[in-house]
Amino acid sequence: MNTNSNVYTVIYTAIIVIVVAAVLALVSQSLKGRQEANEKADTISQMLTAAGFGTKAEFGKMGNAAVIDKYSAEIEEAFTVGIDGEKKADLPEGKVFSPKELKALNYIIKDPEKAEEAALPVFRFKGGLTVVPIYGAGLWGPVWGYIAFDESLTIRGAYFDHESETAGLGARIKDDPSFQARFAGKKADFSAPERSAVFEIVKGGVSGEDGALDNKIDAITGATMTSKGLDEAIDTWLYAYGAWFNAIPASACDIQGESCCCSGCQKSCCASCPCEKCCTSEDCTVSCGPDCCSEQCGCCSDNCCETKSEEE
Amino acid sequence: MNAKIKETLLNPIFKGNPITVLVLGICSSLAVTVTLKGALVMSLSVIVVTGVSSLILSLLRNTIPSRVRIIVQLVVVAMMVILVDQVLKSFEATYAIDKQLSVYIGLIITNCIVMGRIEAFALGNKPWPSTLDGIANGAGYGLILIVVAFFRELLGSGTLFGFDILNRFGYVTNNLVILPPFALILLGCIVWLQRSIQKDLQEK
Amino acid sequence: MEYLSLFVKSIFVDNMIFAYFLGMCSFLAVSKNVKTAAGLGVAVIFVLLATLPLNYLLNEYVLKPGALSWLGEGFAEVDLSFLSFIIFIAVIAAFVQIVEMVVEKFSPTLYSSLGIFLPLIAVNCAILGGSLFMQQKDFANIGEAAVYSLGSGIGWFLAIVSLAAIREKMSYSNVPPALKGLGITFITVGLMGLAFMTFMGISL
Repeated sequence: MNTNSNVYTVIYTAIIVIVVAAVLALVSQSLKGRQEANEKADTISQMLTAAGFGTKAEFGKMGNAAVIDKYSAEIEEAFTVGIDGEKKADLPEGKVFSPKELKALNYIIKDPEKAEEAALPVFRFKGGLTVVPIYGAGLWGPVWGYIAFDESLTIRGAYFDHESETAGLGARIKDDPSFQARFAGKKADFSAPERSAVFEIVKGGVSGEDGALDNKIDAITGATMTSKGLDEAIDTWLYAYGAWFNAIPASACDIQGESCCCSGCQKSCCASCPCEKCCTSEDCTVSCGPDCCSEQCGCCSDNCCETKSEEE
Repeated sequence: MNAKIKETLLNPIFKGNPITVLVLGICSSLAVTVTLKGALVMSLSVIVVTGVSSLILSLLRNTIPSRVRIIVQLVVVAMMVILVDQVLKSFEATYAIDKQLSVYIGLIITNCIVMGRIEAFALGNKPWPSTLDGIANGAGYGLILIVVAFFRELLGSGTLFGFDILNRFGYVTNNLVILPPFALILLGCIVWLQRSIQKDLQEK
Repeated sequence: MEYLSLFVKSIFVDNMIFAYFLGMCSFLAVSKNVKTAAGLGVAVIFVLLATLPLNYLLNEYVLKPGALSWLGEGFAEVDLSFLSFIIFIAVIAAFVQIVEMVVEKFSPTLYSSLGIFLPLIAVNCAILGGSLFMQQKDFANIGEAAVYSLGSGIGWFLAIVSLAAIREKMSYSNVPPALKGLGITFITVGLMGLAFMTFMGISL
């Protein structure tokens, strides 16, 4: 048979293309359900890891069903908020956002005309933890993740994932627990005037000299582009959540009362809380750092300053 | 084992190594050699893909019209890689493995070794030798990858397979080693060494 | 102005060879003299310029989730993005095949000196990389995609021509015999890559 005739070439190509497309479409359709279930369990375990309910490896060993059980045991409420800070709607039970859905949301947030339509998910877990997602572009593909805040809006933990960052460099945002641990104890500047100042991943190391280190962490050496992308993702998303987070303290204080005031000592929320009860000088030396008299310590400040001056 | 099969199997490991002699598959050898684990995962995937795709295309070799052969080759290779990816993604047990592998999918499809061996060998040989040739080339590729990754992870991060080796002795990690240019310099040194031993490979 | 900055950025800052180390195989193998290198460089520019905007359109109107909504309401939910790898690669392979046929017809000398590396443009990671970057960067319109593809192509062209020029000069130098040819080329490219990293700090 003449394999070089035009007719043969065209028919052959057509058959190959149709067969390949059919096989791929069939496989992708028939396996879709299973893949989505795996993806959902993976997303849930990322949120639980960020919130500190375990490590990613532990959840990996538990299996999908156990992860979902753990999630329904720990979740308190899940709802969406707008960029104006108003609550929009409750999320159906067990609903989580896949990277694809986050990508779609990312488009909306970034588009100034559409941003008001955005319905941003908020997941509140037992123990006063609030988990929000972030999403953006790394060097080779998307990066995303979850950041957990406690009642005082201090970051409790974070977990990041990526599609195709370089192993050993950019991939460390996911693989390196010490990088994720750098987030714990930091804060995001929700009242920052500019989007880029909400949180900063600094190249070349955070120097102790510039004082306000609350919202800065070290970048990953050798992975400049991934760090930059992650920084932008965090800035974009936390900036969008800014209005909602800024509105929290007043409402949260009434509900949480004492515990809110004592764990983080946010000034605005503590105004109505009985601070004297919990903030003994002993608490202060333990929980407050060298700049305890600055605003972040709020209600502790008097006690702390005394302790400090005594030491001096 | 007859001499010819032995030759097909052993030649690509050293004398006709795809990376250092045929200059195929350089891009991926730069991207995945920062850690030993990445290099190992990539090597195994490439061995499987080169083997199976050489087999399939060698079976099809007499039917492929020469004018569209590139499309046919690439489509078959890409389909296989995507299929494996989709199947691994569907099972709980393999989902985690797939997440690591998915980074390399694009690199495997565009790995010149796969295409290069199909063009140069599988299209002109019977299925069995083609499969062996594919596997052996994958292995030769993997060997270089693992050597490069060994030095880059040891000197760049002070670890091997993620376990601390040098850092405990106060080693200051060398960030130059992590950058892709250093992989090239390292490859240059490997070529130097190989050609010092095998003088017939030297260029004039 | 935006087009200009995208153009300059894709040539120097996001240089396919020295910033992303994509398309190394043919880059290293076909850079022995400036003339052949320029030939391959032009072929890469052409293929990038042709395939990237085409893939942009395919991505925008066929592959993206919801991209098929122009077919009617019922198609708004269709997500064909799992096909993007294979579609991109098929478009690229088809174009490479055309380029191969054209070069063979009009310049047999160039065709024979490019050898196996002409069909290998299809697996040149720079080309598929270009399309995947395009998908990721979400260009606003086809103009941006075209400018980006032209810039990336020219960046690749400049890189291969400059390496070829260095290699031509280097033939007069006294390189250790085992390092001659491939070995010293690896090391040269590594050093060029380090030099190009200076562009990374520029923000346009």
